[in-house]
Amino acid sequence: MTIKNALRDYGQRYRPRMACLRKAEKVLLEMQDPCAGVKSQPQRLVITIIPHAITGEDIIAWLADRFQIDPQEASSFGSMLVALGYIYPLQDHKRLVIKPDTSLYRFQTPYFWPTQQWPVEDTDYAIYLAKRNIRKKGILELHEQEQYNHLHKWMNHKWDFIVMQAKEQYRAAKERKKPDRVVFDCQERAYWVVHRPPVRKHSQKLPLNNFVEVFEHDLPRPWHSIFIGFKSKFELDYSKKSNFVWASFLSEPFTCRSKIVGENLAFWEGCEDLKWGTAVAMKEKAEQIYKTFLARGAPRWINIDGKTMEITVKGLKHPHRYVLDAAQTHIYMLMKKDSYGRYLKSPVFKETLKKAVNPEEHKFNEVQLEQNARNRRPSLSPIIIRQQEQEQRAKMAASAPVDITQVMSKLSKQGKEMGPRHSK
Amino acid sequence: MGKEECKTMLDALNKVTACYRHLVIALGSTSDSQNLREELKKTRKKAQELAVANRTKLTTLLKDKTISKEDRAEYERLWVLFSSSMELLEVDMKRSLEIGQDFPLKVPTRHLIQTGMTGNTNAVAARAMSVQNMKYEADSNIDTADLRDLQSEITQVSQMMEEMEMKVQVAPWAVVAKQEAGAELKSNMSVGNSSVGVISICGLGKLTRGKQFTFLHVVIKFAIFLLFKC
Repeated sequence: MTIKNALRDYGQRYRPRMACLRKAEKVLLEMQDPCAGVKSQPQRLVITIIPHAITGEDIIAWLADRFQIDPQEASSFGSMLVALGYIYPLQDHKRLVIKPDTSLYRFQTPYFWPTQQWPVEDTDYAIYLAKRNIRKKGILELHEQEQYNHLHKWMNHKWDFIVMQAKEQYRAAKERKKPDRVVFDCQERAYWVVHRPPVRKHSQKLPLNNFVEVFEHDLPRPWHSIFIGFKSKFELDYSKKSNFVWASFLSEPFTCRSKIVGENLAFWEGCEDLKWGTAVAMKEKAEQIYKTFLARGAPRWINIDGKTMEITVKGLKHPHRYVLDAAQTHIYMLMKKDSYGRYLKSPVFKETLKKAVNPEEHKFNEVQLEQNARNRRPSLSPIIIRQQEQEQRAKMAASAPVDITQVMSKLSKQGKEMGPRHSK
Repeated sequence: MGKEECKTMLDALNKVTACYRHLVIALGSTSDSQNLREELKKTRKKAQELAVANRTKLTTLLKDKTISKEDRAEYERLWVLFSSSMELLEVDMKRSLEIGQDFPLKVPTRHLIQTGMTGNTNAVAARAMSVQNMKYEADSNIDTADLRDLQSEITQVSQMMEEMEMKVQVAPWAVVAKQEAGAELKSNMSVGNSSVGVISICGLGKLTRGKQFTFLHVVIKFAIFLLFKC
């Protein structure tokens, strides 16, 4: 029985954005086509020849051609595939980017592809490190040595198994022919570079996983919509689901005041505020919104048709939570059909898209770096904590005849545990 | 004695698990073939036989209330070894089902990933089965036929593991490992003994032979290379 370490779940079971993996796999399969796929060439090592090496420039050219995009975007797309782990570099294996030159890459075997449902196990990493220890005769890299010691400490009860399995896997690998052995070593090493990267300094560009994690915690909100915008181009090719993109665009509090959609978005926010706010403040809020957006000569007048305006104004005489629903829907449809399209074509969006495709490096100073290092803990996101709480409540509700005092004391104990974290 | 037998069987299970993992890694790539699917099937069946044998043995040993404290600690350690092997095996079986379904072989255009691996895995499978050469006797539709068997076997293994957790009261975190950090750099192979049992000896013999062959091979090739360079 393994006590699964749910805190560092690199398999990302709770992150639905990894739905792009299935799509990436389709692209990978297309790249394999002997006629229409990426050209491959043999790689010559000293006395061995290994087939199926592809160059960075070929990958970029193929992607640009397949998706009808410019080389810059194809390069970012390619780098995303490398960062996820579908393709790995043969030279400079620690930098997970596509270089637009003759640097060689190779496709990763399906077993080592990133997956939603199979978390990356520490046991496997420990076995890998032990194997590497055997191969390098005890001389591991610094971060590997640190990880090895750390794992030896907290996985100590399994250490005999890890040593045994490492030795057996090492011997089984020797049963294959030399070229295959070399390939296998590269594959495994590439897999662990993706899933257990060495801690990076700020001057290097972040691979996609870090980018995803970083924007969730560090970057301000507009980036979320930009990332969705970036992903949406990719998804639109496959699904043409502009509805999804637009809805998710709105679900983020949009702090970027753009000329195109300023008042409408402000009105939208106001309506949401009214719907979900406290009952006490409702009347005031409704009046405020009327004065700011709906009244004749209002400072931020929104353009809704006469009929909707009539209904809304009438409703505002006796305001309730959903009095602005009609107007809100009208504005929603207006923005979706008109303003959103204009926004996508606007230079502002193109600028932010460029920044998402090619993110600027953080320019942290020393003090900030230290603070980041200190704050970087594998803590559960509040969404997961809430989910877990809900699951637990459901479980306890299901197992009905239970001593109520035990249940209450357990819940209060957990509340105390969560307390300091919530106060952050 | 019970302990020695147990250790031999655990060694064997460990070896088969390692080989099975190597075979699953080759699935879906250019070294995938009907033979590989058959090798996977045979290795899997062998692993299951060993698993059942190990489990029976260990449960009888652990249920015995008359054993000493040291003996019990040792059996618990062996139990952790066994259950860890089984976990690895279960995950690999599930993954092989998934990848096997995604990469069928009997289709007009095969879409196997060009990973650079082109050789076969006969030797690995032979090591797992403890034979000199593998014999291939399966039908040509093994890639689909086997998947059904695989599904039922996965359920069996999962059930077995659940039963194990229920029936045997062992706290895995309380076990203290015998090996210290860096133990893999030392040359002894088995669980705690020097060579025991026919299985280990056969494996060892094949290993040394293999090593000598490749060393000579490299020397000769290097000499030829230098010759041509001049």
